[in-house]
Amino acid sequence: MIFKCKNCGGNAVYEPGRKMMYCPHCESLDSEDIVPDNTMTECVNCGAPINIGEYTSASKCAHCGSYIVFNERVEGTYEPHLILPFKVNKDMAVEAMNKEFRKRTFMPSSFLSEKSLEGMNGMYVPFWLYDYQANYDFAGTGTKVRTWRSGDTEYTETSYYDVERHMKAGFDRVPVDASLAMGDGEMDLMEPYAYADLEGFNPKYMSGFFGEVYNQSAQELEGRAKEKVREASDKLMQQSLGGYSSITPRSKNLNLQSEGTNFALMPVWMYMYQYKGKTYHFHVNGQTGKVVGKTPVSKEKVLAYGLSAMVYVSAIVSLAIAILEVL
Amino acid sequence: MKEYLKFFRWILITIGVLVVILLGIEGLHKIKSSTNHYERTNTECTTTQRVFDHADVLTDKEEQKLEDLIAKREKQTGCDIVLVTLNESLKEYAREIEPDVSYDQFVRVFAEQFYEENNFGYNKPNGDGVILVDNWYREDDGRIYTWFCTTGIVKDTYSDLDIDHILDRVYRDVETNPYKAYKTYVNDFYDDMMGTRLFDVDVPKGISIIVGLVAAVIFIIANWKSKSGKDTTTAVTYVEGKKADFVNNRDVFVRKSVTKRHIQTSSSSGGGHSGGGGGGGSHGGGGHSR
Repeated sequence: MIFKCKNCGGNAVYEPGRKMMYCPHCESLDSEDIVPDNTMTECVNCGAPINIGEYTSASKCAHCGSYIVFNERVEGTYEPHLILPFKVNKDMAVEAMNKEFRKRTFMPSSFLSEKSLEGMNGMYVPFWLYDYQANYDFAGTGTKVRTWRSGDTEYTETSYYDVERHMKAGFDRVPVDASLAMGDGEMDLMEPYAYADLEGFNPKYMSGFFGEVYNQSAQELEGRAKEKVREASDKLMQQSLGGYSSITPRSKNLNLQSEGTNFALMPVWMYMYQYKGKTYHFHVNGQTGKVVGKTPVSKEKVLAYGLSAMVYVSAIVSLAIAILEVL
Repeated sequence: MKEYLKFFRWILITIGVLVVILLGIEGLHKIKSSTNHYERTNTECTTTQRVFDHADVLTDKEEQKLEDLIAKREKQTGCDIVLVTLNESLKEYAREIEPDVSYDQFVRVFAEQFYEENNFGYNKPNGDGVILVDNWYREDDGRIYTWFCTTGIVKDTYSDLDIDHILDRVYRDVETNPYKAYKTYVNDFYDDMMGTRLFDVDVPKGISIIVGLVAAVIFIIANWKSKSGKDTTTAVTYVEGKKADFVNNRDVFVRKSVTKRHIQTSSSSGGGHSGGGGGGGSHGGGGHSR
């Protein structure tokens, strides 16, 4: 489908800054009409052939520049239960990148150039959100150690305790990305999202952005979700045992009961930068503006700046010595 | 280039300021030294020679340059500045004058005699001035001796510490570059008499390069960061109500054990050092050996 402006026929897109549909051609607001698509090989607007990936649910026509949301990929089993609309627009994402990286001394000069950042794209990344009820039983021996001194003798008293804990916690919407193209580590670092902004799925939010359906099923990715819950449960249990100097576990039993799964689309700005034959990926959380990525290091800059620092500091020291000598 | 200049602007400004300060101080010194001249009043000293290179460690050109420098410094300080290099044993000569004199004092005896016999002194015979005697001959005890002999106003100006310091500076280069070492003697003497040097800066060669190198390494390490994005989730990020419920917690005391350890106390020990002093007479001074 494509969202067409009623007033001028242009492609209306979702504008996060205004939280409305916006026509960039005639600047009309919420003036969109939905034009459904019948095929995923031709642009519904201009008829030009389009070539989309196996999991693409929203894309941009290379010929006319219209953003298309593919009906077939947002309906039926592919229909997301939830969507977190973009809150950060492109300008804000560029600003977040600038703020994060502008002080990186050894970064290539073109990394933050306007031309490079122009290539940033917003994408709805597929996520599975898992709900669990966790029951955690723990038994072990705890020690508390007290030390004091009397004369030339140091006394150490160790008290032993029989410790038991029974923890219950409801884990709500633990996210795991379901896109093979996205690095798991990078997507985990995008967290957390503020779930208060989650909405029931509406394809209009996808107009203006790219999108994917889930690449893997909820069952396939459940292991990652459980691992996240296990780590968090261990941390919570550890916190409850904070008063002891040491803990030796006797038994640990974590039972996770699944309470449902939701398919959701989460907003991420993507920036790809090519440097010396290698591609560097950067991601900006489309809701919070959090930036994740690793900048390339320019060896030429390291050499030039490092040598300069050495020469300049040596010059300052030499001048300071010379001044003290002539004083 | 613009980015580079912006990054290093403060360090470049600092260098500029230091250059200006250095040039300013040197300019002031030049003005001060050009307006400060003493008239020589000793008429009994008949020689104008000040450099006596009997050890032949200087070239003729170097001797002439030192003579010219000394002539200028004498007018500025109001003191005779004499340099003698030798390459002969002074044992017989010194013990003829002072029978029980020790090896390290041979050069002192020679310096005092040489200064007096030549009627050196800027204001009068045996008056204000200094003589450095550097005997390159290795005496029977296997050492080479040098003496810095002060007379008149110079004797009052120089402390033992000052003498040690100027001889240290001369010894720094004397084996590898005698001309440089003797030039240091003349210029340091001028600085000491004129009070143009507030700080004694005696830093090892290459220290500025080492400091620069260390600074560059620290700079590179400090700026190497390339990664962004930390884990900002916590244990309760996805927990309903942001807290877990703990029911039927049990913390039952079982037993207790006490261990004891004897603490050994240690005693400390100290050390000390000794120093020496100078003597009376019309000359002062001090010596070094190598």
